[in-house]
Order: sequence, then structure tokens, then C-alpha cells
Amino acid sequence: MSPAEITQYSGGGVIGVSWLMIALPLAGAAILLLGGRRTDRWGHLLGVAMSLASFVVAVLTFVALLGRDPAQRRLDIALFDFIPAGSLDVKMGLLIDPLSISFALLITGVGTLIHIYSIGYMSHDSDRRRFFSYLNLFVAAMLLLVLADNYVGLYIGWEGVGLASYLLIGFWQFKPSAAVAAKKAFIINRVGDVGLAIGIFTLFATFGTVGFKPIFENVGGASAGVMTAVGLLLLLGAVGKSAQLPLQAWLLDAMEGPTPVSALIHAATMVTAGVYLITRSSPIFEAAPTAQLVVTIVGAATLLFGAIIGCAKDDIKKGLAGSTMSQIGYMFLAAGLGGAVGYVAAIAHLLTHGFFKAGLFLGAGSVMHAMNDEVDMRRYGGLRKIMPITFGTFMLGYLAIIGIPPFAGWFTKDSIIEAAVQKHWILGAAAILGAALTAFYMSRMVFMTFFGEKRWEPDTHPHESPANMTGPMILLAIGSVFGGAFLVLGDRFMTFLAPVIGAPGPEYHGFQPLAPPGIITFVLVLAGIGIAWTMYGKRPVPVVAPRGSFATVAARRDLFGDALNEALFMRPGQWLTRVSVWFDNRGVDGLVNGLAATIGGTSGRLRRVQTGFARSYAMFVFVGAVLVTGALLLVGTL
Amino acid sequence: MTTHYLVLSALLFTIGGIGVLVRRNAIVVFMSVELMLNSCNLAFVAFSRMHGNLDGQLMAFFVMVVAAAEVVVGLAIIVTIFRTRRSASVDDANLLKY
Amino acid sequence: MISAPTIEYLEIAPLLLVFGAAIIGVLVEAFAPRHLRSAFHIPLTLLAIAGAFVLTVLLAVDKTRTVAVMGALAIDGTTLFLWGTILVLAFISVLLMNDEGQFVAQAAAVPGSAEEQEAVLEGQAQTEVYPLALFAIGGMLIFPASNDLLMLFVALEVMSLPLYLLCGLARRRRLLSQEAAVKYFLLGAFSSGFLLYGIAMLYGYAGSLDLAKISAALGTVSGMDPLLVLGTALLGVGMLFKIGAAPFQAWKPDVYQGAPTPVTALMASGTLVAAFGALLRVFWVALGNLDWDWSPILWGVAILTMVIGVILAITQTDIKRMLAYSSIAHAGFLLTAFVATGGPEQNRVALSSILFYLAAYGVTTVGAFAVVTMVRDTGGEAGHLSRWAGLGKRSPILAGVFAFFLLAFAGIPLTSGFLGKYAVFQAAVAGGATPLVIVGVVTSAIAAFFYARVIVLMFFSEPAADGPVIAAPTVGTALVVALAATVTVVLGVLPQPMLDLAGAAARSLFVY
Repeated sequence: MSPAEITQYSGGGVIGVSWLMIALPLAGAAILLLGGRRTDRWGHLLGVAMSLASFVVAVLTFVALLGRDPAQRRLDIALFDFIPAGSLDVKMGLLIDPLSISFALLITGVGTLIHIYSIGYMSHDSDRRRFFSYLNLFVAAMLLLVLADNYVGLYIGWEGVGLASYLLIGFWQFKPSAAVAAKKAFIINRVGDVGLAIGIFTLFATFGTVGFKPIFENVGGASAGVMTAVGLLLLLGAVGKSAQLPLQAWLLDAMEGPTPVSALIHAATMVTAGVYLITRSSPIFEAAPTAQLVVTIVGAATLLFGAIIGCAKDDIKKGLAGSTMSQIGYMFLAAGLGGAVGYVAAIAHLLTHGFFKAGLFLGAGSVMHAMNDEVDMRRYGGLRKIMPITFGTFMLGYLAIIGIPPFAGWFTKDSIIEAAVQKHWILGAAAILGAALTAFYMSRMVFMTFFGEKRWEPDTHPHESPANMTGPMILLAIGSVFGGAFLVLGDRFMTFLAPVIGAPGPEYHGFQPLAPPGIITFVLVLAGIGIAWTMYGKRPVPVVAPRGSFATVAARRDLFGDALNEALFMRPGQWLTRVSVWFDNRGVDGLVNGLAATIGGTSGRLRRVQTGFARSYAMFVFVGAVLVTGALLLVGTL
Repeated sequence: MTTHYLVLSALLFTIGGIGVLVRRNAIVVFMSVELMLNSCNLAFVAFSRMHGNLDGQLMAFFVMVVAAAEVVVGLAIIVTIFRTRRSASVDDANLLKY
Repeated sequence: MISAPTIEYLEIAPLLLVFGAAIIGVLVEAFAPRHLRSAFHIPLTLLAIAGAFVLTVLLAVDKTRTVAVMGALAIDGTTLFLWGTILVLAFISVLLMNDEGQFVAQAAAVPGSAEEQEAVLEGQAQTEVYPLALFAIGGMLIFPASNDLLMLFVALEVMSLPLYLLCGLARRRRLLSQEAAVKYFLLGAFSSGFLLYGIAMLYGYAGSLDLAKISAALGTVSGMDPLLVLGTALLGVGMLFKIGAAPFQAWKPDVYQGAPTPVTALMASGTLVAAFGALLRVFWVALGNLDWDWSPILWGVAILTMVIGVILAITQTDIKRMLAYSSIAHAGFLLTAFVATGGPEQNRVALSSILFYLAAYGVTTVGAFAVVTMVRDTGGEAGHLSRWAGLGKRSPILAGVFAFFLLAFAGIPLTSGFLGKYAVFQAAVAGGATPLVIVGVVTSAIAAFFYARVIVLMFFSEPAADGPVIAAPTVGTALVVALAATVTVVLGVLPQPMLDLAGAAARSLFVY
């Protein structure tokens, strides 16, 4: 079955006002930012209310969508004529279809939970109101990204989430490390964004429009070369936003932001925007097999890269960040495989990952909250009795991410591994190895944090977090347990998404957990847990990290990602800058300064003509009149 | 015939113009401007006769009325500045320059 | 046998309303007790202007395009657009006037005398400014609508005479203010002498004062070319003086600096709009067939105006004086589209671009002068630029808005100034005036320098210890600043409705 056609929706009802999803949090952000300190007292409540209201609209839209015939579930809602400039006519509208509404539910749902969690987490921060305004801004921008019906709207949302991410990473900008991390994220993302922008330009140049519907309908008319170029450019954008190789370096530093931010933006939603972009542009990628191949390679490489980094990090958040890179690598791998099976596996894993990874981050935040903001896992240990709820929810998220049946991650990750094995044995091997590594580093994290003896800094008095923090963690944990089964069993999610990406061909036989790849994976996962137990569970964990082998050191240093960036880009860039500055000072500035001095000097002399005497002004008028008359006579006689 | 009137008008206009340029006393400058306006009136009336329509004469009346209004405004301004500065010389008023 | 003239009251209702209110204002001055006068004047003036605006809109909606009052006034799209613009500018300028600190307590009292002290202590105010302003506004309305030269001259004087007086009524720095008044008056009267002589010559040539008849006479009358040339030249001189084109610009800096700032705002916006409208009508309607002769001259004038405006602005140290020179430069930018005449389609494009520019520039100008009124020293407004140093630290919002206005003057994208300049230059290129546009772009670049200099001064210099205070704005002033900023943004970001409006106004060019 091929995808359903996008139809224009002009009716009313909740779908007609689905723009409220974006408008409400945007209004919240505007009120909080413009209102300033006046809104300090109730600002966080407004932020939560706006996010919750947006969630309610999303749920109602979802229900309304379910009430329609599957072939009628791709609706385009025209909003206004955004840029009417000659041949570039961008009509802003929303595309409500199963794909975008899935994202909208994830963003607003997890977003609301994290808003609630932040009330408690940020309660001691004097700038809590500003934090919530940025969170609202993020939710609005992210929703615009996934709901827009054209690439320009998507791009605005894309830049909007980039801005929100920048503001939130650098939220504690008094810490130099946070400010630098924010700048790093911003700059690396720009590299990707330029790719996306050029990709959109190319699309406009090729198709004369930026709307999804007209582009996707005419993909067949474009040459394969152009499609490959567009695909690679879009991939560059996706790679930057989703922290995939080679633009991965910012995500680890981004953990400088408050933990709810890491959970919402740098785990559950924003970093998955790249997966959305590729899935949304599936008609383009299906027409460009080369680009698809590159996507799978990027995904496979990153899933190993992130997992290796995760194995060596002692900072709990950085460990989780490496894990995020790795899991998004799985999604890229699946999205690159293409076809209904690949896209569904990618998005399903994205949704379950949204739950369990957000839950893990919130758990980590809860631990940090209890441990005086300590992030070094070597300083944790034995917390399972003191923080039972945090421990319980974290464990459920843990079981989900490493893929223990029947938790959520098992269903979705296994789908990806199966699909990868069918495509090529190298991809399959990478995916299976990644799963084993995941089991190792996550187990390590759990053992170091919750088991073993207490290695706390003196003067630490851990305690369980308040209900407004544990509540969201519990809800996310429920998602981590049942989300996968709900989506995958009976191909429920595949059927739901079919109008967008089509149904799979006859060679697809549904979810097969007992096939060889699944069994191999399961065995290796158990092995990973076992190794972690012998290294960190049985033996005491030293408080100071041992020097470690070369591999460990490399992984601690993010596999030399920063060193590579410095050698390849920063040093030559600095050199280029120095040359340009030299040239600018000597050549351009010399010319310009000389010119400016000349004009200034002329001005200084010429203004003396303005003597202040009315009679000399009259003289100007008189002489001017004579000149004008004379010139007119001259022209007349010529 | 008209030419004579026009020459006279041009002469008066020039005298008025030169008066504005060379005289210092604001009142005299102002009178020179009035002379320019009245030279225009002469031209209007002469042309009116030449073309045989009344538009020019009508214009002359309007110019007189406007000139009268201008006198009211102009004298008010000149008198005020005279009272402030104790001088009616236009050259003395040159604080605003460059 | 003289037949009674016909008067189309409905079509000229906005004029009647403004002048009626002005006359009522005079009566109020004559009969109302002193302390009640401003309570009468402010609502009366504002309501009259607002009412006239509503009437203008109604006329425009009604698609009135006619010649009224025996051919004296042309009520066409251009006139109605300019009326709307002038009335909006007048309205916000009058809002600025409603400020105790701007106008003299008693104009007749000698500055520094005991009499003045007494008047100040008694809290007197020279409330005549409102009827005077209304008369000037009425003149501005007639000026661009005048369809014969008699009306043109009368309108010019009705507009100018009250302005001469208003210039001399500043509360602080009264010597400067009086000097501005006397200079403006003498030079204005001098230039109107030229204008009048030009009219006389054209009348002698064509035998009529009617613009259409002069145009008709251009091809038929022979043997009187000297009259035509002299008339065109002198008429041009008189009108170029009013828009402040070089070499007739010398009065502008002195007068703008000396006059009370609200009056400067009115002159810099309303007068420029009115004078440019009149210039367009006279040269395009009456002398349109002569454009091969006058357009080279105006090329020279335009270049000189742009160059003198920006070059002299660079070394200015007084904010109002700098804005005056910038206004000269903007008159030059406008002239580039003015000379780009051609076929009807080209004329339409050029006309609509000028209309848009006038509206955009006028509003930004009033906004900028409104900000100037708020930055005060002990002796009144802090005119000297050095006093503006570090304003961005003391009052970031005000400095930010002012910086935004300056960016609009400089023509930075996303401001109305950019689109105005773009439209005007585009029309000029289409009309074959590419060299002018090159001069325009180069001078714009130089102009950007001195606008940026003020911004740098405000945001990147340390504030002086005894720096100026920011006066708590009156409701009117705050409204003006907010409105001007909004319009400048909206016209910069969503210009299409306004461009459409200007295009619609210019569609039928002029009726005559």
C-alpha cells in the first residue's frame, strides 16, 4: 500500500484549531519573558498549564484523527500566507497526520511531565520563571517543527528548538563551562543547519515550492542526482541536530544544562528531530538509495561510538548522553533502511526511547538532587534503600533500554536489529554489538549508583525526592514498561503510520522475537550484564578513577572527537581568521579608513559654509535660482 | 506694451532681491521681500491685460491678502527678536550655524 | 454676468473640518478663560484631525476621484493618500505638543525678564499653538491637492505662516528658537517671492493658472519660451526650498534645531509630505511634457542634495541638527524616484514608491523626535550628542527604540526604511536613473555611518556622571513612540498592505 494523499482540511472542530498546540506554549513563553519579575510567583504554574493545555489539544486531535477513515488521516490545515514574494510563496499551514501527531503527543506528554518535575527540581533557583519560559518556547518550537506542512515552517521550528536548546544549556551562564557548552552546541548545530538550509534551497530551486505535499508528489520528476544531493544535505542537518557522527561533539557538553532540560531536549525530543526529518522526507530518501546508505552507515557508526563512550564515563549524565547518541544511532540506522518496516521501527524506538530515556534522566536528576548536585558515579553507591522510588523507576527504565523482554525497549530495539540483519550482516552485527555494550554500560551505571557500599562525599544527606518529581518518574516508568508492547504487538503502530509511509510488502511477517538475531542479542545482553557485575557489582568501586587502558582513556575523552575537531577545523579556522584579519587591517581597512577620513574632512570644511547668517542663506537661494534658470535655459537650447 | 510693464516688474523684483541680500535691518529685508511680491502683482496684472482674462487680477488680490498676513506674522517675529536682542540686524542672529 | 461658483462640500469635508476647528480654536483663545483653554484645545484639535482622517478614509473607500471647487482642488488617489498620511503625522505631532515643557509660557515676554518669571510661576501657557498648528495642517492638506497655481500659493502661505510663528515658541533656549523663527520667516518669504514670480511667468506664458491648461498650452503657444523657462525654474526653486533640496537647504538645520521639537517633528514629516506632493503634482501634471528639460536639472539637484545631506551630517554634534541633515538626504533619495518619469506605468510605480516612502519616513521621523523630547538636561532637551553617551545603559528601552528608528533611517532590512528606499531606488532604476541610484546607495552607506555612530555612542560608551535624565513621558509622548515603533516594524515586516494601498492610490495618477 502506498501512502495516503494529503487532503486539504477546511472543517472546524479540534483539528481546525490544532494550531492552539503551538500558540498556547508560545503565548506562555511570551507572557513569562515580557512579564519579567512580576510573573515570578506564578510563572512556573502558567508554564505547566500551557504545556498541559497543549497536551490536551494534542490528545483531542489524536482522538479526532482516530475517528476518521485511515485513508483520510493526512490533513493539511492552511493558516496564512507567510511569505508572498514573487515566485517564492510560502503558505503556512499544519500537516496533521499519524506521524506528526505521534510526535506531538510525545513532545507535549513528556514535556508536561518534565514541566511538572521541574517545579520541584528548580524550586531553589531564583530564575525558575525564566527556565519555564524557555521550556515553553522549546515546546512551541518543537511542535512547529513537527507540525508544519512545509520545509520553511520546519526550518523555523528547527532554529527555534536550537535557540531554546542554546538558552537552556547555558541557563546557568555564570558557570563558564555552561556558557562554553551552550556556544559549542550552537556552533556545531549551525554547521548542520546550513546543510538543511541549502537542502531546502535546492528543493525550492528544483520544485519551485517548499510545501511537503507538492514536493513529495513530484519527486519522480527530479533527477536522481539532485535527490541524492538533497538527501545528503538534509542528512547533514539531521546529523547536527541529533548529535550523530561527525557532528556529535556538542551533546556530551550539553549536559551542563539543568537535568530536566537534558531529559526533555537532549534525550526525548529535540535530538530526535533528525529522525523526524528523515522519516518525513521519506519520499526523497526512497528516491536516493545512496543517501539512504549513508544514513545507515552514520547510524551504525554512531550507535557503537556512543555506546563505547558510555562505557567509560563516570559522570552519570554524560554516560546517559553517550547512551542517547547510541540509541539515536539505532533510529538513524532503522530510518536509513527505509521502507515501512524501517521507518516504523525508527519511530517506535524513538517513542519508547522518549519514555525510558527521559525517565532515566529524571532519575539521574533525582539522584543528583539528593547528592548535592554531585554527578560522579564513583561518589554514589548504595542508594537503593534510601531512594526506593527513584531506584524502582530507574530500574524499569534500565530494563527497558537494555532490551529485557517484555519491557518497551526490547520490542522496538529488536525490530531494528531484525531489520538491520536482513539488510546486511555488518549492520546487523553492529546493532547486536551495540545492544551488548548498552547492557554493559547501563548495568555499570546501576551498580555504581544504587548498589555497593556508600562512597559519598562527607556531609551528604541523600533523601527521596518530593512527589512532584517522583510522580513524573513513575508515569514515565509505566511508559517504559508497556509502551513497546502496546506499539509493536499486533503491528498496531505500523497500521497507524501506514497512511504516511505505506504498508510493508508481503515479505514482512510481523514481529518475530524468537528468530536467531533476537536470541543472539539476548544472550549477549546477559553477557554484558554479567561482565558489568563482575567489574562493578562484585568488586568495590574505587573513588578515584584508575588510569585505565588506552581504550578507556580514549572513551573518556569522547574517542578524541574534540581533538579531531580542533585539528581539522579549529586550527585551520584560526589560521584563516588571522590571515583574513591581517588582510582586512592592511588592505580593506586602510582603504576604508582613508575614505572615511576624506569624507570627514570634507564634511568639516563644508559645514563652514553654513555660516549662520540668514543673508548668506538667501544668497544660496539666489545663486541656486540663477543656476537652475541658467541650466534650464541651456538644456532648452540644446 | 506689456513688455514695458514686464521690464519694470523685473527691475522691481531684482531690486527687492538685492535688497534682501545686502540690507542688514530685518525690517528693510522684509520690505524688500514685499517689493518682490508686488513686482509679481504688476506682472500678473500686465499679463491679465495681455491675455484678456481676469485670472491675473484675481491672483493679484490674493497676493495682497497673503502679503498682509505675512506682514502680521513677520512683524510679530521681528519685534519679538528685537525686544530680546535690542537689535534688528539679521546678522546678529547667528547662534545656529555649521 | 458672473455665475456663482460651485463648491463640492462633501469632497472637501476634511479641509472644512480642520479649518473649522482652527477657527473655533481662535474663538476659544478669544473668549475662554485662560486656565480652561488647553482643556478645550487638546480634544478639539485631536478630534478634528481624527475626524478629518475618518472623512478622508470614507472618501477613499467611496472611490472619489474628482476635481472640486471649480477646478481648484484635485481630489484623487494621491491626494487622499497624502491627506491620510499628513493627518496621521499631524495627529501624532499634536500628541507631542501636549507637553508642558515644550512651549513658551508667554511669547511676548522677553527671555530672562521678570515678566517671563512671573508667567512661568503662574503656569501660563501659550495655547495658541493648537489653532496655529491646525491652520498649518490645513495648509498642508491643500498644498498637495492644489490644482491651480493660485491655490498652490495660498496653500503654501497658509501652511508656512503658522509654522514661522510656531518655530519661535520654544520654552527653553528661546534665543535659538526666535532666531530659527526669524531665519525661517525671512528665507521662506524670500523663496515664496521666487515662487510667485515663477507663477506669474507661467501665467504669462499660458494665460491661465490651471495646471491642466498650462500643460495643454505647452505644445501650442510659441514665441514665449523664455517665460516658460523662467517660470518653471523659479516655481521649482520655490518648491524645492520647501522640501529642503540643495542648494536651497540651508534653512533646514538651523530651523529644525531651534524650533520646539514637536514643531520640528511636524515640519520634518507633514511639511515634507505636503511639499513633495505639491512638487509631484505641479511638475508631473502641468510641466510633465517638459520633463526632458527639467529632469537633467533635477538630477543635479538630487545628487547635490543627497551628497550635502550625508556629508554635512557626519560631523554634526547636535542630535536635532543631525536629523535635519538626514532629512535633507532623504529628500534627495525621494528625488531619485521623482525624476524617473516615463510612460504611465513607470509613473505609477514611481509615484507609489514615493507615497510609501513618505508615509514610512514621516512616521519614523516623528517617533525619533519624540524620543529627542524625552532626553533632558537641566536646561531642556539634551541636544548635544556627547550627552547621549551611555544612554543605552541608563534607559535601554528608549535607547533601543531610538536605535531602531536610526536603523530605519539608514534603511536596514526589516524596517520600513529599507522597503521605502528599496521601492524608490527600484523605481528610479526602472526609469533610467541608475547613476542617481548609485549615488543614492553610496550616500546611504555613508549615512549608515553616522546613524551607527549614535547607536555606538548610546550603547558602547560610558554614561556621563551628570548625564541627562529621561523625562517620564506624557501619555501622548509614550503613545507616539510606541506607535511610531510599531508602524516602523510592521511596514518593515508586513509591508504588503501598505504597498498595495500606495499602489492603489497611484493607479489613476493625477486627475486634472
